[in-house]
Amino acid sequence: MSAKVLAFINFKGGVGKTATVVNLAATLAKLHEKKVLIVDLDPQSNSSLWLMRPDRWREHVEHGRRSTFQIFEDAIQGKTRFDFNTALVQGVTTWTGFTDLPKLHLLPASVELLRIEDKIHELRAPGVFQIVEGALGPYFKAYDFVLLDCPPNLYTTTKNAIFSADSCIVPYVPDYLSLSGFHVLAEVIADFRHRFADHLPGKRRPNIGALVVSHYRQTGNVFRLAINELEISLARLKAAGLLESGALLLNPYIRHCVRVAESTSEHLPVILYAPGSIGAQDYCDLAQGFLNHFDGKK
Amino acid sequence: MNYSDLAQKLLRLAERLEKHSAKIEGEALARPARKISAEADRLEAALDSFLASRKSGELILETLLRSPAAKKHLSVDVLRKILREVADKRLKSEDLAAAKREFIEVVHHHKEAEQATKTLKKFFMQAVEVPPGGKEKAALQREFIQLGSLADDEFAKEVARRTFGELRRLADANGIRFTDKTTKPRLILLVRRYSQRAILNISAAA
Repeated sequence: MSAKVLAFINFKGGVGKTATVVNLAATLAKLHEKKVLIVDLDPQSNSSLWLMRPDRWREHVEHGRRSTFQIFEDAIQGKTRFDFNTALVQGVTTWTGFTDLPKLHLLPASVELLRIEDKIHELRAPGVFQIVEGALGPYFKAYDFVLLDCPPNLYTTTKNAIFSADSCIVPYVPDYLSLSGFHVLAEVIADFRHRFADHLPGKRRPNIGALVVSHYRQTGNVFRLAINELEISLARLKAAGLLESGALLLNPYIRHCVRVAESTSEHLPVILYAPGSIGAQDYCDLAQGFLNHFDGKK
Repeated sequence: MNYSDLAQKLLRLAERLEKHSAKIEGEALARPARKISAEADRLEAALDSFLASRKSGELILETLLRSPAAKKHLSVDVLRKILREVADKRLKSEDLAAAKREFIEVVHHHKEAEQATKTLKKFFMQAVEVPPGGKEKAALQREFIQLGSLADDEFAKEVARRTFGELRRLADANGIRFTDKTTKPRLILLVRRYSQRAILNISAAA
């Protein structure tokens, strides 16, 4: 097996990064029998808390030991305390008390990750951006897809995700604020790739490969026009070499759905919590669109 | 709890029962023992059924038929077509829920779960494919941006050269919503406003 590693990034918050990662991963595991690993790199631990009950999560990541925090802490301290197998959470516990989705694995985050950005500057580039790949790269091979859920910033943990990734996916809300941020993001990724990845022989050259539109509403002109402006921008950025040549807006656009929001409180992906909802339908179709775009590229 | 934890728990219990089986007795032990024995039979039957349907490919087929994607895209006609293709059989049910049950039964009978799953997956793959706007859409988006960059008098000259139909295609390709009642002057206003906005937003963002 050779995993496709995808970083879900946007330094704008509230654009649906975690919702996309959690629900896409669950759908790939459930309906397409793909083995998927979610790596939660966000100190807010939203992917972890979406898929784990808070008491179980707290117990699991106590002191950050069995979480992605330990990967960075080890790099700073020069130690090897992180143990992939004990940190890994396999499947999702449903209301039955038993696990479902055995092909969905999670490396949870912990709030201790907040401390990392302050301390990590003790390390120097380029090594500081290779921490995640160095610690997790060998384990990625056991999966079909590895989805890296990044914090809403472009600091060191996010750059580690970009460095590890084959491609980046940008969750996006169709409005002008997202559009302006998207241009900056494309430039930052291109600059990062140029400085730290392009010269490495055999290294993946991560770039933006797709966008996922969330919180879409079909009423009026608002979102259609914003999507049109995004499409025109995409064409320009592709022509300028700032995106992958095949970069596209994945279909369908994810509509606003209250059942998705509810599913966070049930600690279940929407495909398990409300399979009849439009949210579940959209993520199912998105997973298919995702496979059509990325699975053929392996 | 995951199933591995349960297996460990049962193994530990089994070992203790085995070790002390010659000396344990009484109703207090027998009652839960009787219950666990009955539940173990049920669990074993459910496990056998699960493993058999997984092995034959029927589990994923049923999962797909019950999936949110099926709710959105699947119809009796589609199932009828797939069944004819994979098993050369005619689907009799007219109701979707009944058709799904009949579909599974026929596929099971003909041992064609793998082929049916493959065909169903192909159907779902095609169902989400959106025909690309292609060169025409890209050209209309370029035209829109070009119109947005023109001064008022140049814009007026440019749109005067276009038919109402051409303007409607331009507006539609660029996300402008209009109805059959939208007049040409109104559509021109909308194109003017939103093409200028696109220029402003895209250049400001870049």
